[in-house]
Amino acid sequence: MDSPRKLWTWLIALLAASFAVLLWVGRDIGMNAPPVPERVVSDSGEVLYTRADIDRGREVWQSMGGMELGSIWGHGAYVAPDWSADGLHREVVAVLDGWAKAEGAASYAALDEEHQQALQGRLRAQIRRNTYDPATATVTVPQWRASAMKTVAAHYESLFGDDPATEVLREHYAMKDNTVAQAEDRRQMAAFFWWTSWAAVTERPGSNLTYTNNWPSEPLVGNRPPATTFLWSAFSVTFLLAGIALLGWYHARTHAHDSEPLPVPAADPLRSVVITPSMRATAKYFWVVLALFLTQILLGAITAHYQVEGQLVYGYKMANLLPYSITRTWHTQLAVLWIATAWLGTGLYIAPAISGHEPRFQRLGVNFLWVCLLVIVVGAFAGQWLAVMQKMGLELNFWFGHQGYEYVDLGRFWQWFLFVGLMLWLLLVGRALWPALMRKSESRSITGLFFLSAVAIGLFYAAGLMWGRHTALSIVEYWRWWVVHLWVEGFFEVFATAVIAFLFTRLGLLEVKKATVAVLFSTIIFMAGGVLGTLHHLYFAGTPAPVLALGASFSALEVVPLAYIGFEAYDQWRLAGATPWMRRYRWPVMFFLAVSFWNMVGAGLFGFLINPPLSLYYMQGLNLTPLHGHTALFGVYGMLGVGLVLFCLRGMMPELVWNEKFLKASFWCFNIGLALMAVCTLLPLGTLQLLAAINHGYWYARSELFMQQPFVPLLIWMRVPGDVIFSLGAIALALFVAGLWVRPKRETGRED
Amino acid sequence: MEAYYAEIRLVHLGAVLMSGTLFFLRGFAVTVFKAAWPHWAPVRYLTYTVDTILLTAALMLTTVVHQYPFIDAWLTMKVVLLVVYVGLGTYALKRGKTQNIRLGAFLAALAVFAFIASVARAHNPLGIFSTL
Repeated sequence: MDSPRKLWTWLIALLAASFAVLLWVGRDIGMNAPPVPERVVSDSGEVLYTRADIDRGREVWQSMGGMELGSIWGHGAYVAPDWSADGLHREVVAVLDGWAKAEGAASYAALDEEHQQALQGRLRAQIRRNTYDPATATVTVPQWRASAMKTVAAHYESLFGDDPATEVLREHYAMKDNTVAQAEDRRQMAAFFWWTSWAAVTERPGSNLTYTNNWPSEPLVGNRPPATTFLWSAFSVTFLLAGIALLGWYHARTHAHDSEPLPVPAADPLRSVVITPSMRATAKYFWVVLALFLTQILLGAITAHYQVEGQLVYGYKMANLLPYSITRTWHTQLAVLWIATAWLGTGLYIAPAISGHEPRFQRLGVNFLWVCLLVIVVGAFAGQWLAVMQKMGLELNFWFGHQGYEYVDLGRFWQWFLFVGLMLWLLLVGRALWPALMRKSESRSITGLFFLSAVAIGLFYAAGLMWGRHTALSIVEYWRWWVVHLWVEGFFEVFATAVIAFLFTRLGLLEVKKATVAVLFSTIIFMAGGVLGTLHHLYFAGTPAPVLALGASFSALEVVPLAYIGFEAYDQWRLAGATPWMRRYRWPVMFFLAVSFWNMVGAGLFGFLINPPLSLYYMQGLNLTPLHGHTALFGVYGMLGVGLVLFCLRGMMPELVWNEKFLKASFWCFNIGLALMAVCTLLPLGTLQLLAAINHGYWYARSELFMQQPFVPLLIWMRVPGDVIFSLGAIALALFVAGLWVRPKRETGRED
Repeated sequence: MEAYYAEIRLVHLGAVLMSGTLFFLRGFAVTVFKAAWPHWAPVRYLTYTVDTILLTAALMLTTVVHQYPFIDAWLTMKVVLLVVYVGLGTYALKRGKTQNIRLGAFLAALAVFAFIASVARAHNPLGIFSTL
């Protein structure tokens, strides 16, 4: 496997097979999605909900921030409860209380254990039964359940309004008053919540598992992890070990035949690169990166603070202006946007540098795209704010407001605009790279791979355009994870590997053929697990059994290459010291090393912690999820973004002396701050939640009963030192970049 | 969080004491003996650590007692004087160009530190002067 041609063949075959299976599973998910009934009626004939209620209720939920305030089927934010689990628990408690009162007790809790068990048994048998009639598309519920549903609906109608009775709960959930302004909207949203919990407790026809594979854990209704979660968790660990063993053998074999190191160029080859007008124009992308990054940190601090003070930020009622759901939306969106902007800028900078060709109007294109990006950020964020503040209306919301789906929250119009922007970026990068892609040279293959990963990043955003306003929620989740997972755990990984290897070849430190083979091989390994690994996000999203088996098996393989990332890191470390002029690239390379470290810890260890089906059954939506999210998203792609920005700035202003003090501070602050956030807050809090979920049910781990215990805010406060250190890192980075323009120091020692 | 009020307050007071002592020792060594050790990295990192703990505990206390800077005058005074104290401290340890400037800044910083402590004790922006 050391010929690029062979590797290309393997890669194409692998991608074709993987995507064929992924699409087949998507079809299966669509055919087996939980049905949305035309009507839900009580056995006395009373219509409780209609399909229109449930559908419109979902739109209301989307408009108020959707997954950015609480979660559905475990997907979303962590302060407010999971509405599916919370609604289910409230409903069954209401039923059991009703039955207990009928037997003369004060409540279900007041009964002795024997009676409680008897009522639970009766409840399990009845509530899990699927009463959906496909002929009439009607769900029929007994009167006792209809009464309980009304109790739960009344609770949500109060909670999402401004009823003083639920004021304290709103504070605990970090919800603003009148989260949903209209009473009818609140009623319909309660209908949607009920439908998600109905899918979570109703057994599929011919099966003893519910539509969500028995998720969430709820002892009162017999929702326990299915046998398949144990089975595929065990197999996933086995596959992981087998993959590590195989790759270990491969590494041993290839490293045994390592050729002599390449003669190092006497001078930095990139110093001779002519900086074209379009390359110079990319500087503004990097300024925007910093502005977005600093804003993201500020919004993250406010979002985290809401966990302590609910609606306040140090006494100021911030929730009236920027409620939790909007700060969290912007925080998560900005993470993607600033990292993407760093990569866009890098692509635009290095394309003419590689080919030595500045196409006509390239600078105009770079500037135009930059303006488009600003319009998208400002326009989309304004739309989201108007939506969350309930000033937009549902008709406009889908197109211009808040879609409510985490990481793809932009209104559809803004999604299209972003997609067109990404296509324009590809066009600009492609036309500048074209001469290099056409040139018959050894580096053509690695240039092509770099370009293809960029094409994939651009094109795969289109998966986010695949659903409409009324598409089944399971299918929306399927496509959403195409964007999030295939980007993050697929093409981002390929882009990261390709771009770093590519830069080292341009510096003359890596042999082109060797780098090409290594990158192609890594791509095959990443994509072997990455494509079908998408399904591990969908175990409990109303999907059928093959999702669990395929997702568990292939996502375990995603960790395999990360186990050997030390090899890559060591090679980079070695190259960084290969020659005195590499000192100029010390800090970009240090950030690339951080990418490797966090890839192993954040993506590999913390990712696999929540990855097997049995783990995720309990951990989904607990603080162990942001543990993986923060350490992998910033740790890997954020660090890569910063490293790439520094690399481009080094090339753009080669004669400047860098203020390494700021960079050193920034580098260590980022790493220490991120580690402290993970270790002091997210890991211990997530672990305690996990124990609560296992012992008492998932609803409890996400409830105010758990989250308002004194140790929880204490643990949240423990992240403040880490967050402060991290923020200082960002300020140091901003000061460094500003210093390149404000008071640049040239190599001669002369100050401008 | 109210359950931990006493412990958080203790950590805050301990950090204040340690931060003040460290500053006094460093400032004294720099202004009187022109010593180099106050600028050593471990010493600097120790002060950063103590000050971060101090700040965190202070922020926690504001949310426990529901009194906040820029809302409650005595806390506003503390924050404003903290900025003055930090500014004077940098002149005392580093930025002061002459020994006299350093010494002056050092003494002024100590006075501000003491006044901040009196504001905290009195819960009054006038601090020690509130009793006059």
